[in-house]
Amino acid sequence: MSESMLCSKTHEYLTGEGGNYTIGLTDYAVEQLGDVVFVELPEVGSEFSKNEVFATVESVKAASEIYMPVSGKVVAVNEDIVSTPELLNEDPHGNGWLIKIEAQPDDTELADLLDYSDYREEVE
Amino acid sequence: MTKQTFLHDKHIQLNAKMVDFAGWHMPVQYSSIIEEHKTVRENVGLFDVSHMGELIVSGEDACPYLNKLVPQDITKLVDRKAVYCQLLNKKGGIIDDLIIYKLEDNKYLVIANAARIDEDLNWMVRNQRGFNVNIINESHNYSLLAVQGPKAKDLMAKMGVENLPEFFNIKRAELCNVNLWVSRTGYTGEDGVEILVKNEFSELLWDKILEYGKEFGIKPIGLGARDTLRLEAALHLYGNDLDEETTPVEAGLSWSIAKNKTEDYNGRAVVEEQLKNGVSKKLIGLVMVDRGIARHGYNVFYNGEKVGIITSGGISPVRNENIALAYVKAIPEIKSDTMIQVEIREKLYNAKVVKRPFVKKNNKV
Repeated sequence: MSESMLCSKTHEYLTGEGGNYTIGLTDYAVEQLGDVVFVELPEVGSEFSKNEVFATVESVKAASEIYMPVSGKVVAVNEDIVSTPELLNEDPHGNGWLIKIEAQPDDTELADLLDYSDYREEVE
Repeated sequence: MTKQTFLHDKHIQLNAKMVDFAGWHMPVQYSSIIEEHKTVRENVGLFDVSHMGELIVSGEDACPYLNKLVPQDITKLVDRKAVYCQLLNKKGGIIDDLIIYKLEDNKYLVIANAARIDEDLNWMVRNQRGFNVNIINESHNYSLLAVQGPKAKDLMAKMGVENLPEFFNIKRAELCNVNLWVSRTGYTGEDGVEILVKNEFSELLWDKILEYGKEFGIKPIGLGARDTLRLEAALHLYGNDLDEETTPVEAGLSWSIAKNKTEDYNGRAVVEEQLKNGVSKKLIGLVMVDRGIARHGYNVFYNGEKVGIITSGGISPVRNENIALAYVKAIPEIKSDTMIQVEIREKLYNAKVVKRPFVKKNNKV
C-alpha cells in the first residue's frame, strides 16, 4: 500500500493509477489532529486545481482546510466519513478516504509529492 | 522561555500531546479529548492546572481592599469560604475572573488565570494606596491539581479525606502524609476538588491519585477536554468570553454581583447603570441546527443583519451536538428558541438560542 502512496507537504495522500485516484489524509496528519468530529466534502462532479481547498476536516480543537495534491475532477466522495467522522481516525489510509478523482497529473504536478516513507521521514 | 509545571515529566511519560498555553508547556490531551471528556462526566479525571496563579492578599485592610476590586461582597465571606469574582477596571470591564478564598481573618487566597497574573498584579498594586495590605505572588511555589467527576468524592475518601469541604469551601487536609489545601471547586460542572500543594509534593500526589483512582476509572485529562467540559457547563473562558471591554452584566454574570453592597468598588457606576437600564450586548448560548461547528470569532446574523460574534464554540460530547457562546446585540427578539445564523466559511448555518448551561451541572451536591 505505502509503495504507491504519494504524499503532499500539507499531509494529503494520493493513491491509484491510470487516471483514477483516491485522496485522503495521512495517518500522521490524523494523529496530529486528534478526534475528527466533522468532515465537509465537495460535490461529485466539481473540479479543483492542485493546491486548491476541496474539503474541511474539523477536530475537537480546530478546523483544517484540505488541499488537492493534484488537479482533478471529483467522481466520488466518502459519505461514510461525513456521518462517521471517527473513521478518519481509525483507518485514514483505508475506510477513511476522502474523495476519488479522475486526473491526468503530469510530472510537474507530481514533482513536489513525496513517497510515503520519505514523507514520514520529512515530518518526523 | 516556555514554563513547565512540576508535573511536566509526568505528562511526557504519559505520552501527552503538549502545547504552549499562556506561556506554559501544557498537556492538551493524553488519549483523546472526547474520551477524556466522557471520563470526567462519568467517572473521574485528574488535571494539572499548576499554570494557574496563586496570590496571597493579607494585612489589616485585606478585606476592604479586595472589596474595592470586585463587585462581590468580600465582607460576607466567612473563614474557608470562596466566592467567584471579577476583577474590574474603572469602566466595569473585566481584567480577570478570580476565585477568592478567605483563609482566615486578614488573609485571602486569590486564584487567577495564568495569562492574566501580570495584569492582575499590576492593577492590584495600582489600587493599593491607602490600604494596609501585602500582595504576594505565590504561583511559583504551588502546584494545583484538579480531581473532577462524579467519583471524585469516593476517590478522596479512599485516600483518607472523608469529609470534603462544602461546595465553594476550602480546608486543610492531609493526603499521602502531605499537608495541603483541598477546595470543593472546579471548571467542569462536575463535583470535585482542587488541591493546592507545595511544588515538591506534586509528583507524589499525581502518582498516588492515579494509583488510587484506578478502581474508579481515573484518567489524566488535558487542556482540550478542560475546554470542552467548561463550554458544556457554560463557564466563561477569559480571553474568549471575557475581556476588559466586557462587564459582568453583559457577560451574564449579574447573578454573581452582590446586591446592596455598601462599599464602593471599581466600575460600580457602569455596573449599576447596566443593571438598571439594561445592556447593549449580551451573552447567549447556541446549539447548531445545521451541520457545522461554530468557532471563536465567527460572525452571528439575525434577519440578515450581523448582530454579534461567537466567543467560544465546539462540540458537546454529552449532547452530541455543536454548541457555542456568543455576544449579540441585546434586542428582545433574540431569546430562547430564536433561530439565528452563524457564518462558517462564508456560508450561513442555522443555530438556536438555548438556555445555559448546555448540560445539567452536578457540582452542588
